Formats: sequence, structure tokens, C-alpha cells
Amino acid sequence: MDVSEKTEIPPGTLEMLILKTLKRFGPMHGYGIAKSIQQISEEVLRVEEGSLYPALQRILKKGWVTAEWVQAGPKRRNRMYRLTPDGRRQLSAEISGYRRVSQAIERVIEPA
Amino acid sequence: MRQWFGQLRRSLAALLHRDRLDRELEEEMQAHLEFQAAENRQNGMPAAEARQAARRRFGNSTFLKEESRGVWGWRWVEVLAQDIRFALRLMRRSPTFAATAVLTLGLAIGGNTLVFSLVDAVVLRPLPFADPARLYLLATVEAESQQAMNSSYPDFRDWRAQSRSFQAMAAFRGDSFNLTGAAEPKNVNSLCTTPGLFELLGVQPALGRPFAAADGDQVVLLSHRLWVRQFGADPGIVGRVARLDGRPYTVLGILPEGFHFPLRRFRGDHDVFVPLIPSLDRTTWELSVLGRLRPGATEQQARVEMDGIARRLAQAYPESRSRQGIAIRPLERDVVSSSRETAAMLMGAVGFVLLIACGNVANLLLSQGAARKREIAIRLAIGASRGRVVRQLLMESVLLAALGAAVGVLLARWGLPLMVRLVPERTTFYTRVHDYGVHINLAVLAFTGAVSLAAAVLFGALPALKSTAPGASARFGRQGGLRGALIAFEVSLAFVLLAGAGLMMNSMWRLLSVDLGFRADHLLTMDITLPEVKYPNPKSWPDFFAQATDRVGNLPGVISAGASDDFPLSRAYSINTVGIPGVTDKGRAAFHRVTESYLSTMGTPLVRGRLFTPADSEQSAAVVVINRTMAARFWPNADPIGKTVMVARRVVRSDGGGKRIAFVRQPVAIVGVVGDVRLLAVDREPIPEVFFPYRQWPQIGMSLVARTAANPSSLVPVIQKEIWRMDADLPLSEVRTMDDVFARDVAERHFVLLLVGVFALMAVVLSAVGIGGVVSYNVRRRTQEIGIRVALGASGRDVVWLVMRQTALWMLLGMAAGTAGAMALTRLLSKYLYHVKPTDPATFALAAAALVGIALAADAIPARRAARIDPVGALRYE
Repeated sequence: MDVSEKTEIPPGTLEMLILKTLKRFGPMHGYGIAKSIQQISEEVLRVEEGSLYPALQRILKKGWVTAEWVQAGPKRRNRMYRLTPDGRRQLSAEISGYRRVSQAIERVIEPA
Repeated sequence: MRQWFGQLRRSLAALLHRDRLDRELEEEMQAHLEFQAAENRQNGMPAAEARQAARRRFGNSTFLKEESRGVWGWRWVEVLAQDIRFALRLMRRSPTFAATAVLTLGLAIGGNTLVFSLVDAVVLRPLPFADPARLYLLATVEAESQQAMNSSYPDFRDWRAQSRSFQAMAAFRGDSFNLTGAAEPKNVNSLCTTPGLFELLGVQPALGRPFAAADGDQVVLLSHRLWVRQFGADPGIVGRVARLDGRPYTVLGILPEGFHFPLRRFRGDHDVFVPLIPSLDRTTWELSVLGRLRPGATEQQARVEMDGIARRLAQAYPESRSRQGIAIRPLERDVVSSSRETAAMLMGAVGFVLLIACGNVANLLLSQGAARKREIAIRLAIGASRGRVVRQLLMESVLLAALGAAVGVLLARWGLPLMVRLVPERTTFYTRVHDYGVHINLAVLAFTGAVSLAAAVLFGALPALKSTAPGASARFGRQGGLRGALIAFEVSLAFVLLAGAGLMMNSMWRLLSVDLGFRADHLLTMDITLPEVKYPNPKSWPDFFAQATDRVGNLPGVISAGASDDFPLSRAYSINTVGIPGVTDKGRAAFHRVTESYLSTMGTPLVRGRLFTPADSEQSAAVVVINRTMAARFWPNADPIGKTVMVARRVVRSDGGGKRIAFVRQPVAIVGVVGDVRLLAVDREPIPEVFFPYRQWPQIGMSLVARTAANPSSLVPVIQKEIWRMDADLPLSEVRTMDDVFARDVAERHFVLLLVGVFALMAVVLSAVGIGGVVSYNVRRRTQEIGIRVALGASGRDVVWLVMRQTALWMLLGMAAGTAGAMALTRLLSKYLYHVKPTDPATFALAAAALVGIALAADAIPARRAARIDPVGALRYE
């Protein structure tokens, strides 16, 4: 499979990526979120597309996003996810947490 | 917190709209796949391949949907709902099984609910006073007997002044008054108390105020009940006057509805509360004392402190040395103690019934499990885990138990008024039930729920594990051991209950044939108390009672009449000290003041000497009659006639506006010996008794007894009218036949016997049904084998024995275990046994015979059906 050349995203960061995507581009449906993450990461990060949905349910439950159906044509509607103020706060918390960890890792693996 | 609530709200919404959640996920994922497929097509893939690739890229959509749903944490609800739906479907498919199980459980759970509601009302509910655990009774300990007795007012005053462990104390005694001027003359129970009793209990009058030190003696608080019945709930009552024994008392207030003074001894509820006029004599022990422990003080501290106070008082006042210790005990223990053991015993008995019911349902489930072996085997084979199948089976049990609980609560609600009516008067049970009622409240329902759940696990676990055990289907039918053990278990429990009920019945039978020492039939009693204001001169009292007994004795239908200040089983006896010169100066005997005709009216035989005559008057020599027990105890080898004994005469002096009570010792000569009676209670041996002629010892209140020719109840109006012809304002209280008095004396035994008897009956019937079920099952299972045996020439008897043998052995095992259990447990009944040992062999043998008979019948009826099996039909069976 062609997955080998792409990197699985680290566990637990998927939620952060979803939140960031929604912050940057505004309300978006699941497929859009998946594509955005891939494009922005220049196809390095690969979301296993299906696993986006359990992640979306998790952050729906936490109240970080809301979802609503938007009519998109005569027989088609899309479920659009929108970041909530709680989600915004969570995102900045997660980003700073992530930064701290990755900087620490960076320092450890940096050649002395 | 806010976030947590938000999550909870969203989760609940997800639970309630599960279907929509599913649909939305489905739609969303479908849309995703279509987007991807469209993109793939744009990149030049053929339509079919584009869809395929999109799906590949998406992953396992079923699994992902499950996972998405799982995020909300409601998977278990879905599984549960699934299990319940399945269980309900099964029940509908075998309604007979379900109905039998639910009804069996309903009966047993209903019984448990009922008994627990009683236990809750009588034992568990705290006394309805502020912080009741800190309320203690204080009593004076008699040096010789080490028994807790009443206390004197001067002692009480010193305790209150010196104690630091108790923040408040109040002293009180019971009395009764004739209440006039209200609806009708009425004799009311009263409590004479020092100020502060209500504050100590934490009770506020509903109207008016409690006593204050400056109130004087002629003030009164009324019970809510009396205010409603006698004063028409008049809201302007406070400040008005009520006449008690003819004297005016100012009404200070009305106590709250539902207030009952918890210590009633053997009288009824108190209706009036008046200030105590204490005797200042340190050797007049007439008071009960209630204290409230200071917050932080322990019972142990209080005990040590009161011991010290008692020592100091004993040194300072040597005249009261016959009573010098101070005993304290929690009020709560005094009010509920005697009920606690009985309550535990009844809970145990009804718990046995539930265990037997569980045994029956377990057996039913085992049969079901055998019938469902194929279904279970298939489910296990296609990959259900054993845990999952066990959970499903347990859910069926829980559902059965839940339905059983519903039936049980309905049965309990229906049985509750019946049981409450049976609770005998004048027992601690009655006091609590009467004061606060019995209700199936939340506590009771919680108990029922817990018990039902426990039962479900109990009867469900074994069959569930058994029928899903690896290789269960191969070894199917080898559950004989488990079924047999269940039978043995049931029989043993049933035997314990039956033996217990048998022992109690045996005791009851012995009690009913006890020689009371007097004739209880055709005897009417009623209490008459003369109002002191109208009859201030004690010399007028004997005249009144002489006239009353004469007039009543001459009524048509009345054979004779007499009067006494108490009578056997009246529980109003007083035990006093009697000095026997040369033997002891501390003999104890019950004292009675009686009219000449009293002993002959009761039918108590004269053994030696003479009875009283009208000539035994104030002017003549002081004489007494004693009973045979007294004669035997103090003059075992001599004739007591003509001997002199010393008794204390209670003298009431009015000085300075208060009553003062003192005791004066005087000699009296024995002129007669009469037979013994059961004075204290039917089950208590006779004690020494001394009878005094009422003309020498005037009494203001006496009990009239009338021996009648006809049904004594029918003469009540005639006798009442005759008394009222002498004084129209006299209330007659406690009008009862001696048969009623007797019935009340044994009522508590009767009540407990009835309950235990009902439980024993339920146990025996349930066990019999259980045995019958198992035997029928065995017959069905062995139809073919039996057919072959019959075809090969087995006789009907052989077949019956073949079938019975299987269960009979287990039954015998159960009997043996039950006998051992009964030997160990019937001790708990000793309180209710009379002249029967807890291990009485005759009773055990009878119970065993009855149970074996019933069990064998339950065994034989289905077994006989086996004997009629047609071999041809049976062989063609499969």
C-alpha cells in the first residue's frame, strides 16, 4: 500500500488538527476537514479518513465544536462543524502543550 | 462544572436521540464516500473502481460507526435494552414458566417487604425528638436486687444540680384525672412533670407555650387528640380552664399533632400534662428521670460521673441507703429494645421463605436451561463469549425478580392494613406502630429493590453458569446433583420454620391450658376513680365502693360483684416490701386492697382461715389475707394464720398546698390463705401476694369486677347505668371482659406465632411445589427409559420407587440439615416459648413427620404419573 511513505499522525493530535483546521477555515464538513489536513501538511500527514468521525464525535461531546446540517443542493445536505469558544480555548491550550512537549523532545534529540 | 453539565446534557441528548445519531452518522459517512468517489472519478478512475478506492481509503465503516457511537458511552444501555427485549420475548414464549416464577417471587418478596416495613417503623426509625441519641433514662438502683427503680425528687434535684454530662434533666410520673366540663366525663392519662420536659425533648407546643417555673400547679398542656375530641379543636382554648378531678386548670397550650410521650408503661397514651407536685421525702421513690447528654459527652463519662454523685449522696443521706446507685440507659433502647430481637427473628423467618422461593425459581431456570441448551450452544458456537451469554441469562433473572418485586409490593400494600390491625395493643410494637404508623416508604422500597436484586443473582447465577459451562450440552441432564441439593436446601429451611412454628404453637397450647387460679370466663372489669374534689374524705371511699358492689351484685344477670385496686393480668400491680418478724424485713409481695366479695367473685379458693367480712373495718384489728406462695415461702413449716407481718402504709398529707407522701410501718395479722393466681402474666409463676381489706386501706380508685350469668359484654350498659345512678359524672374506663384481658396478655405471642406460622406454611407449600416440579421434570426426562423398563416388565410400584428414590434421598438429607439448623436457631425463639425447650424432641418429631408426609406426597403425585406411562407411546416418543 502507498501508506508507507506517509506518516500516521501521532495519537491524540487528531483532535487538535481538526480544531486548528476549523479555526483557520471556518465551518467545514468532515470530508473538507480531512482534505485540508492532508493538503496543508503537504500530504505528509495522512488522516485515516474514517477515524475522523469518532474524533468528531469526541469533540462534539466535549462541546468544542457544534454541528449543523446545511442544505447543499436539492437532495444533498452537508454536516458542517463549527468551532465553539470552548473549542478555541481548548485549541490554544493544546497547541501550547504540544509546543512545550515538542520543544523538549527537540532539545533531547538535538546533537549536542 | 459547567463543562461537565454540558457534557452530561449532550450525552443524554445522544441517548434519547440514538436513532437520529445513527442516521446522521450514516448520512455523513455516505456523503464523505461520495465526495471521495467523485474526486477519484475526476482523477480518471472508472466509476466502480472510484467507489471501491474511496471505501478502501475510508476504512471499516461499520466499525467506525460503532466507535463513533461508543464515544457517547451508552453502549451498555443498548446491550441492556437488547437483553431486556430478548428476555421479554422469551417470557412471552413460555408464559406458564414466567407466571410461576413471578408469582413465587412475588409472594416471598411481598412477605419480606411487609416485615421490613414493620421493622422500619418499629426498630429503625429514630425517635421523633431532637437528636434522640442523646436522650437517656436515669434510674435509682436498688441495692439488694440491683434493679433499676424509680427515683425520689430530692435525689433528682441533686443529680440535676451536680451533673455536668447532662445538659438538662426532667422528672415525671404517670397519673390519671377525671376530665369534666368538656364533651363527656372522661378518665384521661396524665403525665406530671417538672418544667423543661418538652424543651428537653425538643418539642414545641402547636398552640400556646410550655410550662414555666412561675406557672404554679394548676396549669395544663393538652394532647392534640384530646383537644380535637373533647374541645372541638377550639383555637381559643389557650387561657381557658379545664376541670381535672374537679379542680380548675388553666390551659397553657396544645402539643403538636402526632406527639406521643414514648414511655407509657402499661397505660395508654398521655392526654394531659401537668406540673409535678413532688414529694420532698428522699425515700419516696416515685419518679422516672429523663436526661439529655451534653454535646460531646459520652455515655461512659456520664456513667462515671453519676456513680460519683451516687456515692456522695449515699454518704450524705444514709436513710436512703436501700437505693443508692444510679443507672443510665438510652431512651431509644428502652423504647425499642424488646422489639429488636423479635424484628430480627421475623426478618430471618421471612428471609428463609425468600431463599426457598429462590431455590424453586433456580430449579425452574435449570429446567429452562436444559430446554434451551441448543440455543445456548449455538450462541456460544457462533462466537458469543460465555460472559455475554451469562449476562443475558442473568438479565432474564433480574427481569423476573423485578416483576416479582412489583407483585410483591402490591401484595404488601394489600396486606399492610391487615398486619397493622393484628399488632397487639400495649406492646412496644404497638406503641411505635400506633404513634407513627407503618408505611411502604422509600426506605422500604429500597430494601425491596436490593433484596430482589440479590435474589435474582442468587437464583440466576447457578443456572446461568451451569448451562453455559464448557461441555454443558454434552453433559446435559447430569444436573441431578444440583437440583437435589436445591431440594435439600429448601427442605432444611422449611423444617427450621416448621419446627419454630411448632414450638410456638406448643407453647401457646400450654399457655391456654394454664390454671390461672381464678375463673376468667363470664367476668367483667371496669375502673372507677372517684374525683377527689367531690370525695375529699377517704372515709367516704369504702362506702361508695361497698354500695357500688352491692348494687351491681344485685342486678339481674350478675351473680356477684367485688372491687380491688388491681386484678390478675391487669398489669397495674404494685410490689411492696413486707417485714416477716424473725425471717426477713425485706420480703417482697404484691399488695391488693379488696372488698369482702372480691376473692369469691374472682373464684380464688380459700385454703385456710377466713376471707374478709364487713366487720374488718377501720375500728377493728388490722388483718390481711395472703396467698399460698407467700405462706410457703415465709412459713414453709408453720401455719401462717395468726402470724403478724410489718407493712408500710403510704400516707398522703396535704401541707402547704402540696401533697406529701410518707410511709409509716405498722403490724397486720394474717387471717386467711387463698389460692395462687397468675398475677403478673399468664406465663409468669405466682408470686407472694397480700390482700388488705379496703375499709382499713381506703382507695380512691378501684377496679370493679362482676361475675355474670350471661355474656358479660351484654351487661355493660346496665352496670354503667347503675353506677351513674350513684354519681352521673363518674367516668368508667377500661371496661373489659376478663377474656379480653387474657387475650391481650398473650397477644404478642399470638401475633408472632401467627406471622411465623404463615411463613412456615409458605415455606412448606413452596418446598412442596419445588419438589413436585423437580420430580415432574425427572419423569419427563426419563419417559423413554421408564417406557423401556415397563416394557421389560417393571411394575408400577418399581417405577414409582425409581422416580421417588431420586429426590427422596435429597429430602432426607435436607431434613437432617434442617434438624441441625433448627437445633441451632430455635434458641432465638426462647422469649416466645413457655414450658417447651427450644429443642423439644416431641415438637421436632411432629414437625419432621408433617414435613416428610407433605414432601413425600409432593414426590409421589408426579411419580405415580410415571407409573401410568404407556410403554408404546413412550418408546415412540422420539
